[in-house]
Amino acid sequence: MTTWLPVLPVVAPLLGAGFATILRHRVRGQRRLALGAAVVQLAGAIGLLAVVWRSGPLALRMGGWPPPFGIVFVADLLGATMAVITGLIGTAVVAYARADASRRAELDGFYPLYLALLAAVAGAFLTGDLFNLYVWFEVMLAAAIGLLLVATRPAQLDGTLKYALLNLIGTTFFLVALSWLYGLTGTLNMADLHLRVPAVENRGAVLTAAMLLVVAFGAKAAVFPLFFWLPASYHTPLASVSAVFAGLLTKVGVYALLRVFTLVIDGAGTPIQTVLCWIAGLTMLTGVLGAASQQDIRRILSFHIVSQIGYMVLGLALYTPLGIVGSIFYVVHHIIVKANLFLVSGVVERLGGGGDLRQLGGLYRRDGVLATLFAVPAASLAGLPPLSGFWAKLLLLQASLAAGYWALAATALVVGLLTLFSMTKIWNEAFWKDAPATLPGGRLSSERRRLLLAPIAALAAVTIAIGLWTQPFLALAERGGATLLDPKPYLDAVREASP
Amino acid sequence: MDSAYAAVVGIVMACAVYLLLDRSLPRMALGVILLSAAVNLGIFVAGRLSRQRPPLLPEAVDRLAAEAITNPLSQALILTAIVISFGLTALLLVLVLRTGRELDTLDVDALRISEPPEDGAAH
Amino acid sequence: MLATVLAVLGLAAAAPLIDRWCGRGAPWLLAAAPAGLTLWYLAQVPAVTSGHVLREAVPWVPALGVDLALALDGLSLAFAILVLGIGACIVLYAGGYLEGRPDRGRFLGFLFAFMGSMLGVVLADDVIVLFVFWELTSVTSYLLIGFDHADPRSRRNALQALLVTGAGGLAMLAGLVLAAATAGTTRVSLLADGRDVLRTSPGYTAIFVCLALGAFTKSAQVPFHFWLPNAMVAPTPVSAYLHSATMVKAGLYLLARFAPALGGTRLWFWVLAAVGATTVLIGASRAVRQTDLKLVLAHTTIMALGVLLLLLGLGDRHAVQAFALVLLVHALYKGGLFMVAGAIDHETGTRDVRRLGGLARTMPITATAALLGGLAMVGIPPFLGFIGKEGVYEAALAAHTAPLLWLVATIVANALIIVAAGLAVWVPFFGPVPRDAETIHGHEPPATLWLGPLGLGVLGLGCGVFHGPLVDPLLGAVVAAISGVPATLSLHFWHGVTIPLLASVTTFALGFAGFQVRHHLVRWGEQLVRLHRTECERGYDATLGGLMRLATWQTRAMQTGRLRDYLVVVFALFGASVLATLVASGGLRPPGGWGEVQFHEWAVAAGIACGALATVLLRPGLAAVVTVGIVGYGVGLAFAIFGAPDVAYTQFMAETLAVVIVMLVLTRLPSLPPLERSPGTRRRDGIVAAACGAATTLALWAVTAAPFDSQLTAWFAAHSYPAAHGRNIVNVILVDFRGLDTMGEITVVVLAGLGAVLLLGERGRRSAGPIPSLILASINRVIFAAILLFSLWVMLRGHNEPGGGFIGGLLAASAFALYAFAAGPRAARRVLRANPLTVAGVGVTLAALSALPAVAAGLPFMTGLWWFPEATDGAKLALGTPVLFDVGVYLAVAGTMLAITFALLQE
Repeated sequence: MTTWLPVLPVVAPLLGAGFATILRHRVRGQRRLALGAAVVQLAGAIGLLAVVWRSGPLALRMGGWPPPFGIVFVADLLGATMAVITGLIGTAVVAYARADASRRAELDGFYPLYLALLAAVAGAFLTGDLFNLYVWFEVMLAAAIGLLLVATRPAQLDGTLKYALLNLIGTTFFLVALSWLYGLTGTLNMADLHLRVPAVENRGAVLTAAMLLVVAFGAKAAVFPLFFWLPASYHTPLASVSAVFAGLLTKVGVYALLRVFTLVIDGAGTPIQTVLCWIAGLTMLTGVLGAASQQDIRRILSFHIVSQIGYMVLGLALYTPLGIVGSIFYVVHHIIVKANLFLVSGVVERLGGGGDLRQLGGLYRRDGVLATLFAVPAASLAGLPPLSGFWAKLLLLQASLAAGYWALAATALVVGLLTLFSMTKIWNEAFWKDAPATLPGGRLSSERRRLLLAPIAALAAVTIAIGLWTQPFLALAERGGATLLDPKPYLDAVREASP
Repeated sequence: MDSAYAAVVGIVMACAVYLLLDRSLPRMALGVILLSAAVNLGIFVAGRLSRQRPPLLPEAVDRLAAEAITNPLSQALILTAIVISFGLTALLLVLVLRTGRELDTLDVDALRISEPPEDGAAH
Repeated sequence: MLATVLAVLGLAAAAPLIDRWCGRGAPWLLAAAPAGLTLWYLAQVPAVTSGHVLREAVPWVPALGVDLALALDGLSLAFAILVLGIGACIVLYAGGYLEGRPDRGRFLGFLFAFMGSMLGVVLADDVIVLFVFWELTSVTSYLLIGFDHADPRSRRNALQALLVTGAGGLAMLAGLVLAAATAGTTRVSLLADGRDVLRTSPGYTAIFVCLALGAFTKSAQVPFHFWLPNAMVAPTPVSAYLHSATMVKAGLYLLARFAPALGGTRLWFWVLAAVGATTVLIGASRAVRQTDLKLVLAHTTIMALGVLLLLLGLGDRHAVQAFALVLLVHALYKGGLFMVAGAIDHETGTRDVRRLGGLARTMPITATAALLGGLAMVGIPPFLGFIGKEGVYEAALAAHTAPLLWLVATIVANALIIVAAGLAVWVPFFGPVPRDAETIHGHEPPATLWLGPLGLGVLGLGCGVFHGPLVDPLLGAVVAAISGVPATLSLHFWHGVTIPLLASVTTFALGFAGFQVRHHLVRWGEQLVRLHRTECERGYDATLGGLMRLATWQTRAMQTGRLRDYLVVVFALFGASVLATLVASGGLRPPGGWGEVQFHEWAVAAGIACGALATVLLRPGLAAVVTVGIVGYGVGLAFAIFGAPDVAYTQFMAETLAVVIVMLVLTRLPSLPPLERSPGTRRRDGIVAAACGAATTLALWAVTAAPFDSQLTAWFAAHSYPAAHGRNIVNVILVDFRGLDTMGEITVVVLAGLGAVLLLGERGRRSAGPIPSLILASINRVIFAAILLFSLWVMLRGHNEPGGGFIGGLLAASAFALYAFAAGPRAARRVLRANPLTVAGVGVTLAALSALPAVAAGLPFMTGLWWFPEATDGAKLALGTPVLFDVGVYLAVAGTMLAITFALLQE
């Protein structure tokens, strides 16, 4: 089991991508292949999580070579949980894409690009090697650019160029910082870096590399002031693409921050922590204010991604056990809710003929099920109990109050209120308000509607489950967070990884 | 030698950044190429430059000492980085081509379709 | 108890269905449930009044110490009975009010959802559970206020209520969390007992302020009172239930619940009393000028809430007793009066007091209900309201500070309430029929609409007359809960001639007089109203508006839409953060070793630098491409002279291909006049660029100053041949030791190919024709074959000598590209036979599959499996899965490059 399970969530979609490239002109075969690969990823990740829950972190030496000479995959609870979520979103969105992607998109290579993206995200979550993490970042970037471009319209070209350039620069910063760390320590393995970094004599250089990593991962995670690429591009492609991006891509950046700044470089008490605190607060505020100024549903949601990222960084910036747990819980909650909201927005745009709130309306009367399915993730995002978002916000509130960060706690509450305002604005305008007379209106066949709403309903059910039946998820986050702050189990697993 | 080439990396990096901020799309694309050149050279420098023999085991020799060869790991990393940035640069160039032709412009500032000027206006 | 809450919530889901199936009978059926539950709670009265507290707890989130805990003491019991009892009346009423509307079922569902949430609030024994239900009441209130959602006013006011109560709720949450952390428990009953833990803690003020904010917003105290009148756009059942009898009392419930733990301090006294009194007076000044029945009632509700808050603030035994009395009394009569107002609206079509009159003749039963409610509101004996008013005066007199102030304020307030009662009850039913208005005909509404108010009115009278058996003990339990000490109540109508009695008489006199001159009062009130309207609701609007303006400005400043602005920020951040950190943290290290650099090394370095600078300085596009190539080749040369042959070859090839692609792209772009940056921009960009360059150099100097730890190098050198059967250490690292990186690398390449092809289209329109020369064509074919074979040889030998899959793949692609240049892309495609992207896909798949045999053999993923067949000449050959992997790399790279090249050529 240890010889292949940790890498299954990566290999299954990767092989799927390869075969899908070969089968590029057989659309139906690709669909089945994609669904199958996503399901295998999900199943494998769940199995991995079960094993790790029972017996602690699981390490796999690629090629049988011992770390730090070869690459290791290390599945601790955090990584395994993220892999499961990847599989979950991957499966849900691929099911949605069945009805959402146009034929043009499917012929353009939607499925191989999509599967490669899933593989890269899982790879980023499971790898224990810093350079390997960089490689997965680049795979994600290449796949993302492709996905942004399928079934191209001019707006997509514009958005993609901005996305591509800014993200390429971000990953380049990562590579530069990585090379500096390598130059200082001589190793690339994260567990090994944990041991070697404190021994470097030039602390200033280490801090500089760390600061650049904050910039690099921050750019990936779309924090202030590096988030431009997100609202510039997330509203342009297919709804499925937006959903998987919104759910997964920025969270890889957050995960990298969580992992690197606990395991590789301990940021507690250093200027890194101060920087992270400022980033958290400013990101929360600028994101939600940005959302308040928009009129297009997807633009609003895009800015909210930025704002919510601030919450996740807040948990890390506190560097307390409760804060880290809150951060992890928030990541899990947010991935599901955000992806779901984008999926819903896709349906709204189909029904309403566009995403501009000024031209939408009357959807509550037209489709009550859709309205409810919007209300659930929207309320969760706003932090209304008893949904997942409430617990996430509560954890962070408790953590920041306990650690004495009053300003951040107050910011978190105010931003929460503004998020509520934003969600009710969408509800008021798109659902409650009557449709303006000039509405072109879309038609949605019931078959397609069912295919689109099914994955949305499934994700909404998960959100409700996390909200009502919170204990297991919280326990998962707790144990996952414990390994972050005290990496001994992680290091032991790497050391003992069986060849 | 590390210091001298570190200075070169800085110069190329500065030029790359300057080009990336240019207003014309093609020159911006050139900036991307320069950027990857600078970064790759930078990795090489960080892995330390030396005048040892290349990391190739001659016939009949089973192993070599680390001091006898140049750093193979940084070379492997650079190779990977070259290939990756080459792939992404090619994609970026094609994207620039398609964008320039479809929007009929070479002006970076004219890319305002996804974020039109009226957007973000007060309602 | 949990079962009762869940039952009500369950009914919320079931109500729409029951409404659809049972039609006319649905309201009766649905009202039976809360009625039955009321009886159950009434049955708990003996136990609770004897001091016993019912508790239930179910573990919910043990990790946070949160249980689904419920507790039933006197305060909770009283509230529960009110919520459920009035709820039953409202359900019935709503059924009749919305008769015939298709969305009635949904309305009833929301109503039950609210009922369950409110019940949860008053029963909750865990702070988190309390908050959960509190927020649920806000949400259900939003859904109910905005029920007629097509009306923009409904939407706006629903949102306003949600935001105001939501903001307070969040503040309350902070307060609850702080309190729980201070006391070490989330159990309300432990938090809120009479101990001094919270009172003496340093966070007392913060906790108190936060909880007070929550209470004030929910209970419409100044300056948060403006949402309540606006909420009257809701259908009347909502106004009757939420916004008079139950939800608006929740804030008072909260403060009453925490009174034992937080009360008794000067802060408590002054804040609550001052806010309460101000609310009373502001409510009064607006109540008398209203012409809409519902608004009259709304403002008197605000007044009553203010009085209740004032009493809580005064806090002594008399005050708490009066609090309990007024609580009960107000809920009974206000709910009833609202329902009456709704009935009038339902039957006559208007709620305008100026157009109504003499309805008693046509709506006798409703008039009776109204009269009962009105008399309770006025506070005439034998209604319980009389004792309530006397209690208020007693409490005011007993205050330890400024008793006269409170006494006068409450007398005036109660007098104005009498005037309002006159407006709401006397004028429409018993007043003269207005002459100028069209005749408003009303007739008796259906039973569902008058049963509730009549019942409540009778109950109000009954509670007054027969207060001994039920009211006294129940209210005693309430007082016990709030004050923390057991108490028994015995209420009397007659205490002898006391000051409160005189005050009551004065009140009646003032009230009656006020009613006679109500039109003058209106004018006086109008002045005050104009003052206060400016502050509070305008404050809300200004805050929202200011927020919008801030949001728009901020977004326009940051998200400008221009790529170059984004890039500048990103690079400036890079330069600044690296430089600042390096300098401030003492990480700078001086560069060294200048003397050791040999001449050819300087030359190459200079070449690279000059090439880069030239690219910046040269204007014409194609010349710049050349200089970029110089930089690239220079870097390749640097790789070569410093012992990195594979990297050098790869760099040369990649640079060549990049230059080719750039040329192809540049020549196909529209030829437009060149664009220049403004001098200011150029200066700014120059500074940013210089900073980035300096940052990189300084960082590299710092990194390379210390000796390098070559532990990894030593291991690679020692294991490359013995363990991995390869002499080219770099290649071994790429395909074996760190093969997963290469796996990702070729995936990037293929994905880039997919992206490029979808941008350019696979089948071109025009294609360049072949060179028309037979000799060239044959030479072409020979060259093509040679390069192709060479590429295969390079790939296969890569494991032991410079070469490898990537270089081989690029060579193969170059072979086809040369062929395409010479003979035309169509011909080249035909030679290739397969679709290039498919070839690339095969490559990636092959590479991934080559990692699997190891798993089948029980070894970790990607372990190399080797066979050593003896070659005919005795030489040792090594064939293994890493070689297969390299083939995959070869195919992936070749395929992608070809796909891009063909697409560009055919474009």
